[in-house]
Amino acid sequence: MGDPAKGARPGAEPRAGGGSARAPPDGSHRWVLSGFTRFALRRLLLIPAQLVFVILVLYLVIDVPVALTQKSPESLVGINQGFYQLVFNLFTGNWGTSTFVRFLNGGGGPNPLEPIPWTQIFAYYVPTSIQVAVFALPIAAALAYPVSLVAGWSRRPGLDTPVRFVTLLGALLPVFVVGTLVLNALFNPYLNYFQDVPAQGLLPADFWFLNRGGYPSWILYGFATQPTGFPLIDAVIHHAWTIAVISLTKTLIQASVVAVAYVAIFFRHARSIARSVREEVYIVGARSRGVPESTLLWRHAGRAVMPSFLLVFALTIPEYLGVQFAVEVAFVDPGLGYLIFASLTGGVLSPLIPLVFLIAIVVLVWAFVVDLIALRLDPRGAAAA
Amino acid sequence: MTGSAAPSSADVDQPPLRPSLRERLARRPPSLGFLVGAGLLGGYLAAALSALVVFRSSLDRLPRNAAWVPPFNPIGPSGVHPFGVIPGFGTDLFNAIWRATPWDLGIVAGILTIDVFLGLFLGAIAGLDEGGLVDSLVTFAGDSIGTIPTFLLAAVVFAGLLTVAPSTIGLPVFVVVFGIILWPTMARTVRERARTIAHAPYVDAARASGASFPRILVRHVMPNSLGPVLAQVPLDIAPIFFVLSAFPWYYTCELPGGHPVPPYSPPTPYLVPYLPFFSPLPSSSFPEWGYLLGFGTCEGFSFPGGFNYWWMYLFPLLAIVGLGLAIGLLCDGIERWRHFDR
Repeated sequence: MGDPAKGARPGAEPRAGGGSARAPPDGSHRWVLSGFTRFALRRLLLIPAQLVFVILVLYLVIDVPVALTQKSPESLVGINQGFYQLVFNLFTGNWGTSTFVRFLNGGGGPNPLEPIPWTQIFAYYVPTSIQVAVFALPIAAALAYPVSLVAGWSRRPGLDTPVRFVTLLGALLPVFVVGTLVLNALFNPYLNYFQDVPAQGLLPADFWFLNRGGYPSWILYGFATQPTGFPLIDAVIHHAWTIAVISLTKTLIQASVVAVAYVAIFFRHARSIARSVREEVYIVGARSRGVPESTLLWRHAGRAVMPSFLLVFALTIPEYLGVQFAVEVAFVDPGLGYLIFASLTGGVLSPLIPLVFLIAIVVLVWAFVVDLIALRLDPRGAAAA
Repeated sequence: MTGSAAPSSADVDQPPLRPSLRERLARRPPSLGFLVGAGLLGGYLAAALSALVVFRSSLDRLPRNAAWVPPFNPIGPSGVHPFGVIPGFGTDLFNAIWRATPWDLGIVAGILTIDVFLGLFLGAIAGLDEGGLVDSLVTFAGDSIGTIPTFLLAAVVFAGLLTVAPSTIGLPVFVVVFGIILWPTMARTVRERARTIAHAPYVDAARASGASFPRILVRHVMPNSLGPVLAQVPLDIAPIFFVLSAFPWYYTCELPGGHPVPPYSPPTPYLVPYLPFFSPLPSSSFPEWGYLLGFGTCEGFSFPGGFNYWWMYLFPLLAIVGLGLAIGLLCDGIERWRHFDR
């Protein structure tokens, strides 16, 4: 290998992990982290601190008032504890137990009398939300990117004004109403074609299974599938092709509603980015040299807005999740939205702290990954790194 | 150069005259969107004021006609009932929406006032103190709180606080809680603008001439950071009505096994409005648009696949969306006018 300082050049030498080796005058070897790595590490270190802050807020608004009231222990499982204990329990995955699944399934569940760890309950409900998100996000991207780019780019008020009006309207409509409208509009055609209803989760409804001899053994409690927990994947694994087609159709319907509702929120933030790119010097220069407008839009501006669009996406992840939860609830899915609404309206506060903690983790990690991708795509960020 | 146009010292000391509002309006008349928004908002205000006068003593409860409570053959829109009748409540929908107008305008105005004040103030301070302790604290707190969807945080905070606060003060508590929760999004966008303004030549000039931090903040940064506020305000209306409508809808319509019936209430074979335990509304007969929309969506879609009872959710929805559009158009109009004026 030889002396590491021997081949060192003045300036940075890229190394694995984003670090670079510099050779100081004394000949010693020193690791200097790149700008990208420093940014990533700083963001990564901030995530636990932000989670502790979220727990502090939850502790102050749920734990302290509940401790003051001394209500029945049923609704306080896992709540009435000190702040440090709460932080420790949440970070170590000790999220308490509950018989709550009884309530959600209207009496069904693994064992109605035996408390179940919240982590296990979440494991039943999270896959449905992930399956919808996996389809909703690409549809949202496919809609949001061209709509925001074209409307922000266009100088014609005849295009920009109606788009702004429609997206404001879309942002103001409560999503559960939109979901209910879509559900009812599709109800009869869906029933006629699949002999099923478009709601009640991503699997066929109860009566569909009952008419065909009952649930197969890989579906537990009427909604939790095995081995992966994702209805579509598990149906494919078990060669249940009709169930797979129904699951895919239901997922696509819900994902489309989520995507359309989210685009309305995204557009309000993203339009101004496309508008500012339109006035950039290099765009004006290229236009003056006779580059066609479509080339300017899709090749130049389309690439230039990508990092900023990704940052807007990172900022609006909580809004996206809010939209998806509402759609899940409108379609009666056994997902995270269902857990949130059922616990809040039913007055069961015990799952709220771990639920919010889980959502905060998802948002922070998701935003972290998107920020890193945006920084990599941004030529200024790459140059700095 | 010697004789003619040398300005006197009095001319130099005198600041340039700013055009009055009338002059600015004459130079650039308000846009059509602004006028439509202002007209709509004026209509809402007129409805609220007239409701205060007409329903003075019974503004906080909906009138109930027992004959209209059952859902069989519900009365649709007609000359007598322009918006139809909503079963369950057993009330005329036009009357209910009109009665709810002052309450909803008060809720929205209260929440947005707190939201705008906190977001503008904290965002402007953070932007002016870029990289400082205040900036770090505001950004950290805002980013951390911003990780939770607004509607969820508002509902969780409100549900927690309501275990100690009496339900009679639920509505004011809700307004304050929601206003405080909305500030991070507002502050984040204001901060970005304030950062740019903090390095503008006129702010540097003010600083050089000895202007204090509070004066620069109030005189220069906050007024010039209004653009992001005007863009954000219409979006902040959506989660307010989402919380007010979605939870009553879920509680009445979707809760597995049905909602628990309050003790001593007579059994009913059909839907009647009940509030979830953490609702900010003081009673189940309180007039509020979101509550009417939630119950109307439930009642209006009692028969899956049908749109026969469209009026039960359409008119409350129009009242909510109309208010949001009015505020949105007004804010867009003000922003365009401010840009042109410069």
